[in-house]
This record gives sequence, C-alpha cells and structure tokens, in this order.
Amino acid sequence: MPVTPPRNLAELFLGFLAIGARSFGGVMPWAYRTMVEERRWLTAEDFTETIGLCQFLPGPNIGNSAIVLGKRWFGLRGSVVAFLGLFALPFIWVLALASLYADFASHHVVRAVVTGVGAAGAGFFIATAIKLSRPLVRKPGAVAVVLGLFITVGLGRVSLFMVLPVAAAVALYLSRSHRL
Amino acid sequence: MLVTLLELALYFGMLSLISVGGLPSVMSEMQRIVIDVEHWVAPEEFLQLYAVGQASPGPNMLIVSLIGWKAAGLPGAFVALIAMCGPAAVLSWWVAGLWERFKHSPWRAAIQRAMAPLVVGLIFSGGYALATPHRTPEWRLWLIAGAAAAGMLLLKKLNPLWLLAAGGALGAFLL
Repeated sequence: MPVTPPRNLAELFLGFLAIGARSFGGVMPWAYRTMVEERRWLTAEDFTETIGLCQFLPGPNIGNSAIVLGKRWFGLRGSVVAFLGLFALPFIWVLALASLYADFASHHVVRAVVTGVGAAGAGFFIATAIKLSRPLVRKPGAVAVVLGLFITVGLGRVSLFMVLPVAAAVALYLSRSHRL
Repeated sequence: MLVTLLELALYFGMLSLISVGGLPSVMSEMQRIVIDVEHWVAPEEFLQLYAVGQASPGPNMLIVSLIGWKAAGLPGAFVALIAMCGPAAVLSWWVAGLWERFKHSPWRAAIQRAMAPLVVGLIFSGGYALATPHRTPEWRLWLIAGAAAAGMLLLKKLNPLWLLAAGGALGAFLL
C-alpha cells in the first residue's frame, strides 16, 4: 500500500489539527488513525518505531512525534507547524473549559464530580505504572529503585532534582552490571 | 507578572528536560513546585485542574497551560506550554540523532534498561501525589483511583472515558 506523506505545510497542519481536535481521552489512537489509516502518511511499522523512540525522550510522546515527523517531511518549519497544529485547538478548548469550570466551581456537586474525575485520572497513572512494572517484578534491583523513588518522591516529596541524579546513577550502575 | 512568567519558564523548562516518559514522570515534582513552593494553585484545585485537562482533547501536557493561566493569565498559559515542550523538543531532536547512531552500543542498552524502573517509580509517585493533595490519607480519593486503576487493568477494551465518567459519578456520591 503506497504511502502518501503530506504534500505541503497546510496539509501537515490540518492533519495534526484533526488529531488534536479529536483526541479526547488519549492522543495516540487518533494519531494512528489519522496518520496511518486515514491519510496514509506513514506505515504502521514506521509509526510504532517513531513512537517507540519518543518514549525514551523527555517531553510529551505525541508532541515529540509531531516534531520528529514534521522535521522528516519539511525540516524545522515542518516541526513547528506540526506541533502548532496538534496543540492549537486543545489549547483553546482547555482554557475555555477551565473558565467555564471556574464559574461553576462554587457548586459543591460540580466540584465533587470533577474531583472524582481527577481521582480516576490518578488511578490511570497507577494502572500504567503497574503495566510497565510487570517485566521488573523479578528483578530486585529494579524493585529497589522503584520503591526508593516512591518513598522519597511520592511520600517524602523530596525534590526530583535532588533524587533523580542519585536514582539514575544507581539504576545505571545496576544496569551496567547486568543486575537490571 | 514578569517575574511570574520567568518563574514559569524556568520551572517548566527544567521539568521539561527530565520528563522522560511524559507528564506522569514529573507530576509529583510539578505538584510540589506549583502548590508547595510557589502557591500558584491550592492542593485540592490541582486535582480539579487535572480533571479539566483530562476532559479536554490533546496531550495531557496541557495541564501546564492551566497552571500558567492561574499563575499569570493568558501569557502564563502560553509561557508554561512553550517552556514545558520546548527544552524537551530541543533535547529530543539532539538525542534522536545520537540514539540512531549508537543503536548497537552496550551503553545505549544499559541506559534503556535503567530507564524502566525510573519511569515506573516516578509514575507511581505521580499517581499517588495526585490522589493525595493534602499529604494525609484520603480514603475516598484512593478508592476512586483504585477503582479506576482496576477498571483500566481488567476491562482492557473499555474506552477510558467511561472510567473517567464513573470516577465523576463516584465523586458525586462520595465527596
């Protein structure tokens, strides 16, 4: 099946606009649908590889993908255009929604519902962490790093900028000596 | 206002550089800075802002725009978002090239293996911090979070938006 990358910046922008606008609940599925299924900008393998790479990079996963892919097709301008396309509508929406919420936040029930939604979101973090931890449970070194981070950063609320260098050094040491 | 904008740029810029694994990794640090250090947002407000971000399309990084907006209005919203995405984007651009070049290096493999427990530990911390705004046990919030986590792990085909809605409903009952 032939791949048809975006022909110009306008197409790139509109494509990412479509991703951003529809991505309620998660950007990844819509990015896949838009770029691989609907517009055939790239193959599924290419998509997965790009996302996989972006997992190891700091910053928002999909945001980085927009930059990487934009760069591939149109250089620096492509990166900027793709990024703007992705964030433009969500940015406007989120501020509008927050303003609206501010008007109603004094109602106890509204606050309770929204707090509940937030708590569910926190639950998603936990679920994600559990999913990612499955390959690690049998490695005592990994478990130690996870616990250490949780106790200092999660419970102790020590600054990440102090903890992370230490944790990273420990993890890297364990990894190099093949205990991870 | 300018001072606030500079602070937003500095803090979110720094968070940007260590946000490996995305927003969840820096969530607890962000809470610490935004609530404890700078007092831009009150503890229970943070969870609500997060929920507004959840109910919005786009990457969940957008919560930083809401924090920036609370701190310094619309300019703050822009500054926060650019600061949160910019440095990481530049770093990623640079690292992406290196990553490809050193595909078979043992160091690269070692770094990849080391990242896994770091990211997991940070995401656990982020979820816990989010559900514990006042640093005291919050059984009702933990219950909702736990239910959502169980739902996500067990009901794999279910669209997460339903779980968020369920969280909202539980919130109305319990909170």
